[in-house]
Amino acid sequence: MFAVEVNELVKKYKSKTAVDGISLQISEGELFSLLGVNGAGKTTTVKALCCLTEPTSGSAAVFGKDCTKDKAEVKRLIGISPQETSVSEKLTVRENLELIASISGFDKAKRSQSVEAMLTRLNLTDVADSLARTLSGGYKRKLSIAMALISEPKVLFLDEPTLGLDVLARRELWRAIEALKGSITIILTTHYMEEAEQLSDRIAVMVEGRLRAMGTLSELEAQTGRQGLENVFVSIAEGGAV
Amino acid sequence: MNRTLAFTKRCIKEMLRDPLSYIFCLGLPLVMLVIMTLVDRSIPPESGMTVFHIENLTPAVAVFGQMFVMLFTGLTVSTDRGGAFLLRLYATPMTSWDFTFGYILPMLIIAVIQSVITFAAGFIISAVIGSLLNIGGVLFCIVSLIPSALMMIGIGLIAGTLFNEKAAPGFCSLFISLGSFLGGIWFDAQNTGGIMLTMCKCTPFYYCTLSARSAAALDLTADGYFIPLLIVSVCAAAFISLGAMAFSRKMKA
Repeated sequence: MFAVEVNELVKKYKSKTAVDGISLQISEGELFSLLGVNGAGKTTTVKALCCLTEPTSGSAAVFGKDCTKDKAEVKRLIGISPQETSVSEKLTVRENLELIASISGFDKAKRSQSVEAMLTRLNLTDVADSLARTLSGGYKRKLSIAMALISEPKVLFLDEPTLGLDVLARRELWRAIEALKGSITIILTTHYMEEAEQLSDRIAVMVEGRLRAMGTLSELEAQTGRQGLENVFVSIAEGGAV
Repeated sequence: MNRTLAFTKRCIKEMLRDPLSYIFCLGLPLVMLVIMTLVDRSIPPESGMTVFHIENLTPAVAVFGQMFVMLFTGLTVSTDRGGAFLLRLYATPMTSWDFTFGYILPMLIIAVIQSVITFAAGFIISAVIGSLLNIGGVLFCIVSLIPSALMMIGIGLIAGTLFNEKAAPGFCSLFISLGSFLGGIWFDAQNTGGIMLTMCKCTPFYYCTLSARSAAALDLTADGYFIPLLIVSVCAAAFISLGAMAFSRKMKA
């Protein structure tokens, strides 16, 4: 069984088609990157997989559970770190994590244990009792990922996790994401080619709602005849044959 | 239930850490109570104006305070909707009812605490000016104010769900102005008569003030207490249901 399976997924907003019939399968433990320019349909695809938007047609499933029919079960399997700041600003780092652990149905002992483990795992111990609104951009992103991970999801969605971060904060977050590889299925959307190149097992490129290319970096390089992900991406995004 | 309580706890913490909640939900009603008591002391007794007497003023100010709970509900819901925090929670097993009750419960707790503090201040003022409030009436009034608190929270929930964080407070401010005027908080609506009284009777705020004043005076007549309280309760149920439905629709959208 695939961790994620999408078949002919279409999402239309009135006259605009955000996602236009994409199909893909992602294996358990894989780190899969979705690339594309703004408006390519990456976030809409992630939203459909997270049960945040209903597909116009086609289907999306997580571990065999349909994202339209089995929403409650899908939601127990996933964690999401959205594009924008998605923390409760007037709660501390610890309280934010406790909130998600409580919503996930953890009892007091497990909640406490999971929070401490997550603080350590993402190097948040130093700021555990700081209000989220006082954190730097890098810490907020790490908190956002920790909140997505604390519910022990089988699939983690990271929607542009390093957007707006300085190079040091970005590198630190990459190390955190790399440490998760293999233990959990990760779907990453990003604008940073270096990020996708360094972290991904496989990469898909979306253009105007369609999946234009998918494979490992070396496969994409072979298909386009270009070297490096940035050149590959430009070639595909500009309409190069794949 | 655990999810609702977890979200309730979060909303209470967010409110307690926001200075605006103290200013609007507690400070302003207390300031109005003191100012209007001073106004009352300046009005000659022969004028026969009793609306600012402490036994009439305190329940009316308690209703006025609840209007700021409405504002705060609108602000909290619209601000949450404006950020990505709710988006994250929408992807958890939380249902629209968990969210709705998670917003209503903390606001109701704040509204009850606000009423207790307002009446405590009213009691102290009444002791100072030598016109002691009836403790039984005060306790009965605090309980009787729950339906009007729910009604205000319902209106705030609708505002916060339908409007963004800039428009929702404006919408609620409109209701505060309208409600404090047509609710007969700052003037004796019942003795005004004519078109003014008709207009007041067309808003639920009038019945909030009327039932609160009757409860504080232990004047438990049908016209003074039970019918107004019934009207307020029906409006509360309607606004809460509308708010919950609106939130559920927005969540699905």
